[in-house]
Amino acid sequence: MTGAWIEGKPAALAAAAAEAARLIAASRLPVIAGLGTDIAGARAAIALAERVRGVIDHMHSDALMRDLAVMRESGIMVTTPNEARARGDVLLLVGPGLTEAWPGLETRLLAKPLAPEIGPSARRIVWLCPGRDGLKAENIRIAGRDPRDLPVLLAALRARVGGRAAGKVSLSGKALDALAAELKAAKFGVAVWSAAALGELAIEMLCGLVRDLNAGTRFTGLPLVPGDNAAGVQQASGWMTGFPVRTGFGRGYPEHDPWRFDAKRLAESGEADCLVYISAFERTVTPVYDPALTTIALCGPDTSERDHAQVRIAVGRPARDHDAVTHSPETGTLVYRAASHPGDAISVADAIALIAARLPDAGAAPC
Amino acid sequence: MLTRIKGGRVIDPASGRDGVGDVWMRNGRIVDTPPGGRADETHDATGKIVMAGAIDTHSHIAGFNVNTARLLLPEQHRAAAPRPAATPLANAGWSTAWTGCRFAEMGYTTVVEPAVSPHHALHAHLELADIPIIDKAMLVVLGNDDFLLGLMRQGESGAAVRDYVAWTLEASQALGIKVVNAGAATAFKSNVREFSLDDVVPHYGVSSRQIVKTLQHAVHELGVPHPLHVHCNNLGIAGNVETAIATIAAAEGLPLHLAHLQFYGYGKEGPRKFSSAAAKLAAAVNAAKNVTVDVGQVMFGQTVTVSLDVMRQFNARNGASPKKFVIFDGDANGSGIVPYNYRESDFYNAVQWAVGLELFLLIDDPAQVFFTTDHPNGAPFTTYPDLFALLMSRDVRAQWIAKLPPDAMAVTTLPSITREYSLNEIATMTRAAPAKLLGLKDRGHLAAGAVADVAVHEDLQDRAAMFRGAALVFKDGELVVRDGAVTHYRYGRALTVAPGHDSAIDRRMRDYYDQRYGLSEDLFKVPEAAIGRAEPFERVPCAG
Repeated sequence: MTGAWIEGKPAALAAAAAEAARLIAASRLPVIAGLGTDIAGARAAIALAERVRGVIDHMHSDALMRDLAVMRESGIMVTTPNEARARGDVLLLVGPGLTEAWPGLETRLLAKPLAPEIGPSARRIVWLCPGRDGLKAENIRIAGRDPRDLPVLLAALRARVGGRAAGKVSLSGKALDALAAELKAAKFGVAVWSAAALGELAIEMLCGLVRDLNAGTRFTGLPLVPGDNAAGVQQASGWMTGFPVRTGFGRGYPEHDPWRFDAKRLAESGEADCLVYISAFERTVTPVYDPALTTIALCGPDTSERDHAQVRIAVGRPARDHDAVTHSPETGTLVYRAASHPGDAISVADAIALIAARLPDAGAAPC
Repeated sequence: MLTRIKGGRVIDPASGRDGVGDVWMRNGRIVDTPPGGRADETHDATGKIVMAGAIDTHSHIAGFNVNTARLLLPEQHRAAAPRPAATPLANAGWSTAWTGCRFAEMGYTTVVEPAVSPHHALHAHLELADIPIIDKAMLVVLGNDDFLLGLMRQGESGAAVRDYVAWTLEASQALGIKVVNAGAATAFKSNVREFSLDDVVPHYGVSSRQIVKTLQHAVHELGVPHPLHVHCNNLGIAGNVETAIATIAAAEGLPLHLAHLQFYGYGKEGPRKFSSAAAKLAAAVNAAKNVTVDVGQVMFGQTVTVSLDVMRQFNARNGASPKKFVIFDGDANGSGIVPYNYRESDFYNAVQWAVGLELFLLIDDPAQVFFTTDHPNGAPFTTYPDLFALLMSRDVRAQWIAKLPPDAMAVTTLPSITREYSLNEIATMTRAAPAKLLGLKDRGHLAAGAVADVAVHEDLQDRAAMFRGAALVFKDGELVVRDGAVTHYRYGRALTVAPGHDSAIDRRMRDYYDQRYGLSEDLFKVPEAAIGRAEPFERVPCAG
């Protein structure tokens, strides 16, 4: 569906773009958030933010930031879905939300035989504290249940792997030791988690456990990434600005701060006075952080009539309505896909180009 | 439009030219002096040095690993200056825009990203496409991939390997092939922690030497201009000079390029069992005219090491400064990001610095040794101007040596070396020779028909100042740098080769990806439409 609306009334695309440009230009601090878009859309959005001295944030930044915080505080060892599938003889699934984060978890990873270079062995799978997520499969053993136990449980497991004493936890000492021994016996163990469902402490302890296991064997991690091309947008932000999302350009150069440039905080506190919300993958209602906040929505595929945004532009879904590069959870890389149902729906990149062309300041765009 | 660069000292070793004269350009190409020609635009270069745009054969400027390093180290590249009106994000430290601007300002017009895993080729190309001004290219890395090792294990023909190499080059839109610690990333997945030239990859039963030889022959026989680009085993380890010399011998007269040789120039002499073996290594290079090398010079300061040599990076993780790292077991490759601070007061770092300079100064032919810091592994490329000054002046070297630990200098020959590079030799090393090494016939020189990539520098006594900011830089004939600063953006191309292959390999790769990954091999290809710029690629011809 294509279309554009100003104050809820159908409008010509050019008029909507002009109104969006007027609102952005009149803003003291515009926030470009959501960022559910392909690489071309992300590049355009980041370039726009840079030009109007705004802020960029992604709708799944909370999860992105938890993995990122652990990486840049202490370091990580990670692998790809393909290598986990080929070589992961021991899979340590950690916490809930895994099948939600990766619907292909069972069919693409758990159910697949190991590659020949691993030798004749069957995959062993332990799921630590799955909450209500646990798949019921014969070859999956459940250990622990309540995800809230994870930081302490992982700390105890890490202590036992390192031959140190551990306090009382929700697993028996015997079960804990058996699990520690199993992890140490892995040839190429892989811990799988979703930051959307784990706290930073649990992730940090898990990544520390993985590092420690490499003193004797090979073990690595497979962090499942959030949807809406969060991982792809993070990459584009990295190469264009040097920083991840939650970066602001108010001083004329990029500054990154996970607290200062949190879109929700900026919108709710009144620091931001204009919200550009981008969500091209899913049917979305623009979040109402503050009913008085000026909002421009680039949403699709079925942008909602109930949306309160002053300006709405319906955009196509990447790789369905138009060709797109996005991060693929199957490959762990950026991939190009031609449109499956090419149509005339406008892409986020093109919508932003229309808006940018109508901004009063003629400053050069970066790309 | 006819443009004239008038009255500079034109240094163009490829054509033997070194004297005061003019350079003429029309429609993006160098042209002969037009008879009675009147320039539409004239730039006075009187008293200045005029050279072709410089070419960098080995700088890690783009891709998943470089970007991971950016995200790992936000504290290392804070921006400090506001947005220039015409060149947004040029001041965003370590960004793609920053990278293109800083290279162009030093007179560089073509840069090769030397280490891209085939499955990350699209990502790397997207970053390369966002780097303004310069042209670029990538080398794609084979030698730890199950498919190649499987072919070798099964004793398949050279033709099968060649088809696979050609298929990979074309799928990745790459300019050449690199091998990184051949077999070690795969062995590391089987918990092997040390890997040398004759060690064997578990399960596959092939040695590192066999992998290097197999790829070297395939690249050569396909007529790919750039010979196999080798990152040897045992990087950074005392006594590893023997590994480098053994690898040179293994080339057996065929072309081979050894990357960042400085990291292999170490002996085991002296009180700390760590010494420079650069003189011995340089002698081996001087005796092997089929071999080219780049140096990977260490310069002091904070940097980050970014390498597909995952085994080495894992072993180096405890030396990380600051204390954090990323170790990645990737598809058919690995990688490691380990931040590091090279300190002047550190014995080992001072020896490393000296080894690099010794190699530059003891390898006789400037067409055989290439100017790199293995950016950012030995140092960021922004240290190039200081490195030019060190090569061109023994006095500058003496000033540096005086500040370094005497016991470190005592296990090197550097203090005794008097050679000083001439501007002509610098032009050979950074222009004529790299163009030849990469097969770029219309670059690296100023003869008629060449791409009009031209750098004009002030002829300053202070060589570092001279190379830090060019007076003028032209890219494809367009003035893009004036007085050391980029004036506006334009976007270059990525250089690629396509040697051609038997179509049987297409079906075979389809079956392989389906069987091993349950995915289409098309997901890992780099179609032109994915890049988002007009004419993103330029084809470089292969021989034969």
